[in-house]
Amino acid sequence: MTVIGVYNIKGGVGKTATAINLAYLAAEEGRRTLVWDLDPQAAATYYFRVRPKVKGGSKALVRGKRALDTLIKGTDFDNLDLLPADFSFRNMDLALEDAKRPTERLSRLLTPLGEEYDYIFLDCPPSISLVSENIFRASDALLVPMIPTTLSTRTLDQLLAFLKGHDQPGEPRVMPLLTMVDHRKRLHLDLIERLPGQYPGLLDTHIPYASDVERMGVHRQPLPAYAPSSAAAMAYRALWEEIKSKL
Amino acid sequence: MAEIAHEYLIPDGIGSEDIKDLIRDRVRFTEDPAYEVTRRFLDSFDWRLYRAHAAVEERLDAGRRRLLWRDLRADVPPLMQDIDAEPGFAWDLHEGPVRDRLEPVLGVRRLLPLSEVWSRVQPLRLLDEDDKTVVRLVLEDNRFRAPDRDREGTLAARICLVPVRGYAADLRKTARMLNQDLGLEPAGTGVLPEALAAVGRRPGDYSSKLDYHLDPDQRADAAAKEILRGLLATLEANLEGTKANLDSEFLHDLRVATRRTRSALTQIKGVFAPDLVENYKTRFAWVQQITGPVRDLDVYLLDFDGYQACLPAPLQPGLDPLQEFLQAHYEDTHQTLAHALESAKFRDLLTSWRGFLETPVPERSAIRNAMRPTKEVADARIWSMYRRVRKAGRAIALNSPAPELHELRKHCKKLRYLLEFFGSLYPKPQVGTLVKVLKGLLNNLGKFQDLAVQANYLRETARRMHAAGSAETDTLLAMGSLVGDLFNRQRQARVEFSGRFADFDSEATQAVIRDLFAPARKRGQRS
Ligand SMILES: Nc1ncnc2c1ncn2[C@@H]1O[C@H](COP(=O)(O)OP(=O)(O)OP(=O)(O)O)[C@@H](O)[C@H]1O
Ligand SMILES: [Mg+2]
Repeated sequence: MTVIGVYNIKGGVGKTATAINLAYLAAEEGRRTLVWDLDPQAAATYYFRVRPKVKGGSKALVRGKRALDTLIKGTDFDNLDLLPADFSFRNMDLALEDAKRPTERLSRLLTPLGEEYDYIFLDCPPSISLVSENIFRASDALLVPMIPTTLSTRTLDQLLAFLKGHDQPGEPRVMPLLTMVDHRKRLHLDLIERLPGQYPGLLDTHIPYASDVERMGVHRQPLPAYAPSSAAAMAYRALWEEIKSKL
Repeated sequence: MAEIAHEYLIPDGIGSEDIKDLIRDRVRFTEDPAYEVTRRFLDSFDWRLYRAHAAVEERLDAGRRRLLWRDLRADVPPLMQDIDAEPGFAWDLHEGPVRDRLEPVLGVRRLLPLSEVWSRVQPLRLLDEDDKTVVRLVLEDNRFRAPDRDREGTLAARICLVPVRGYAADLRKTARMLNQDLGLEPAGTGVLPEALAAVGRRPGDYSSKLDYHLDPDQRADAAAKEILRGLLATLEANLEGTKANLDSEFLHDLRVATRRTRSALTQIKGVFAPDLVENYKTRFAWVQQITGPVRDLDVYLLDFDGYQACLPAPLQPGLDPLQEFLQAHYEDTHQTLAHALESAKFRDLLTSWRGFLETPVPERSAIRNAMRPTKEVADARIWSMYRRVRKAGRAIALNSPAPELHELRKHCKKLRYLLEFFGSLYPKPQVGTLVKVLKGLLNNLGKFQDLAVQANYLRETARRMHAAGSAETDTLLAMGSLVGDLFNRQRQARVEFSGRFADFDSEATQAVIRDLFAPARKRGQRS
C-alpha cells in the first residue's frame, strides 16, 4: 500500500482535482485504489456522487469505533473506492487532540487497509493543523499542487520549513507540482523556467489550465472518464507516470 | 445475515428485453451499452489456481484484452490487468496486480485454456437520487466452446448481481426483487463450473500426487497392477504436453512417473515373473535415459537467474553466453526427445505395458508374494527398506565417501515411494509425518548429489563451449566461480546431513514406524 497525500496550505489550487484524477488512473490500471476525502467541504465525495455522511462523524472515526472499511463506498468505477467526508470533519482536530499519539492517529487507522488497497489518496483540506500533521505522518509521498505565482512558492517554503522542523521518522517525499498553468501568462512561463532550479523535487509534468477540468463539477466524474483524450487528461496521465517512477 | 445469491438463471424463452421491462417497473436504472465478451478460463495442467481457490480468465471485450484474477473464497472484486498477448507463463506478463498474485501460485507452469465462454452482455446500473450507481446487474447470454473447438453449444442465460461496496441494503433489495418478485432461481455456481462441465472437464482432474485406495486383503499382485496403472495414467497424461513442451513440468511429472514405475516394479517384490520385471525395468530405464538431457537443460534454464544472482556482480554478465549456449541446444535436444516419444519403440512399450496391466491377475500364481494380502507384503517391504535406510544412515560419518550417501539416497527414495504407494493402508497422519521427515532427509541428500552433478555438468559444458569457441575468458571465469559456489553449497549440505538424519532416526519416528510396519512380535517394543 502506498499512501499519497495531496496537500497544500492554500485552498483552490487543484488538490481535489489532482487526487481524484490520479486515483482514477491508478484504478484504471487495475490497482486497487481508495480516495479518502478528509475535507469537510466534501468536494471529492460530491464528485463521486456519494452522500457526505460518516456514521458517528469524526469522533467515532478517530476513536476507531468504526473500522474504516465499514465506511467505504464503491464508486461508479472498477477498483476505485471512496471513504467519504462528513461535515463533522471540520472538528477533526479536536477529536485528534483527545487521542493517544495524536499525530499518528490517521496512519494507524489506515494500517488495516494495507491488504486491501494498492494506493490510497488523501484529499486534504487546506490549512495547517493537527490533521495535516497526521497526513504528513501517514503519507509515503506528499503531492503539493500549486498555481505558479510568487505567493505559492512562499507557501511551499513554509511547508518545507515546517516539515524540516518536525523531522520525523518516515517523513514523506515531497513532490510539488504546478497546476492550472496558463501558457499565455508571462509570469507562469517565467516560473516554469525558474522553479525547477529552486525546488529539485518539483515534478516535470504540469497540469494546464483547462475548462475541461472545471467541468468535473458538472459531470460529477473524474476528468479521464468523460474526456479521456483531452489535453488536461493527457497531462494527468503523464503526471501519474512520473509519480510512479519516483515512488 | 443470509448469503445473497449473486447469479440467477433466466428460464428459456425469456429474453433480456422482457427482463428489463420487468425490472423497469420496479427500480430506476440506466443501461450501459451492450457488448460482447469472450472469457477464456485458464489454469495450469495440475490446477494450481483451482487448488489455491482462485480463477483466472482472459477477457476480450471492446478491443480490450485483460487478465482477471478472482479470489473464489472472498467476496471482493476481481483483480485485472491489461495484456497484449496470449497469457502463458507468469514471467512473460507485464508488471501488474494479476501477475503479482499469479506468479507465486503458478510457479513454472503455463496457463492453459480450459473452456471458453462467449457472451452478449447487457449491463444495467441501478441508481439512487444522485444518479449514483448502487447496484450493477449484468444480463448475459452465454455460449461455450472447448479450447480445441471440438465441442460448443449454449449455456443458460444469467443475470448477475454485482455489489457496489457500501450499498448492502440496495443489494439485498435487488436480490429480493430478482428472487421473489421475478421468481428467478439462483444459479448455485458461477459460469465457470458450468462451462467446464460442458466441455467435459472436472476441476482437479489431474494431480501428480498419488492417490490410491487399496484394500489390505487384496492380492498383492493385483494391488501392484493397480498402482502401476495409476502411474501409467500419469505418464500418459503428460505425454502430449511433454512433446509440445508446454512447460517443463510435463516432462518432470513424466519422469517421476517413470521412476516410480521402475521402483514399484522392483520394490514390490515377488509379485510378477522375474523375466517380465527385468524386461520392463530395462525398457523404462531407456525412457528415463531419453528424457534426461532436456530435463538437465530445464534445470539450468529455469533457475538461471538464481545461478547468476549467486555470482559477485562483476562476474554476472559473463554468464550470459552460457544461457545462450543452453538455449541454442534446447530446440534440438527437445526434438530428439519428441522423436523418441513418437517412436515405435516407445509406443510398443506403452501398449504392451498397458496390455499387461489391464490383464486380470491369473487365478493362481506360484510367485512368492503374488497371492498374499497386500498389507502383509507392504508391511514387510516397508519394514525391510526402513531397516536398510537406518543401517546405511547410521553408518555415515563426516568422512564417508560420497557414493555411500548416494546409496543411502536411493534407499530413501525407495522407502518414500513404498510409503506413497501403500499409504492408504495406514493411518493418514502417521504416514504423512513419515513422508515429511523422509522428504527433509531426501532434500538434503538430493542437494548433496544434485549440486555435485550440476557442478560437473557445468564443467563439462564449459569444455564444450570452449571447444566450440563460444566461451570468452569472462564466461569461463564466471562459470568457474559458479562451479565453486555449487561445490561450497554441496559441502554445506554435507554438514547439514547429520541433523536431517537425526530427525529421521528420532525416537518418535522409530516408534511410529515400528507400530505401523514391524513384524507383530516387535511392535510396541523399544529398539
Ligand atoms: N487544471 C485546471 N484548470 C482549470 N480549472 C481547474 C484546474 N484544476 C482545478 N480547477 C478548478 O479549480 C477549482 C479548485 O480546484 P480543486 O477543488 O481541485 O482545488 P482544491 O485545492 O482541492 O481546493 P480546496 O482547497 O477548496 O479543497 C475547481 O473548481 C476546479 O474545477
Ligand atoms: Mg479540495
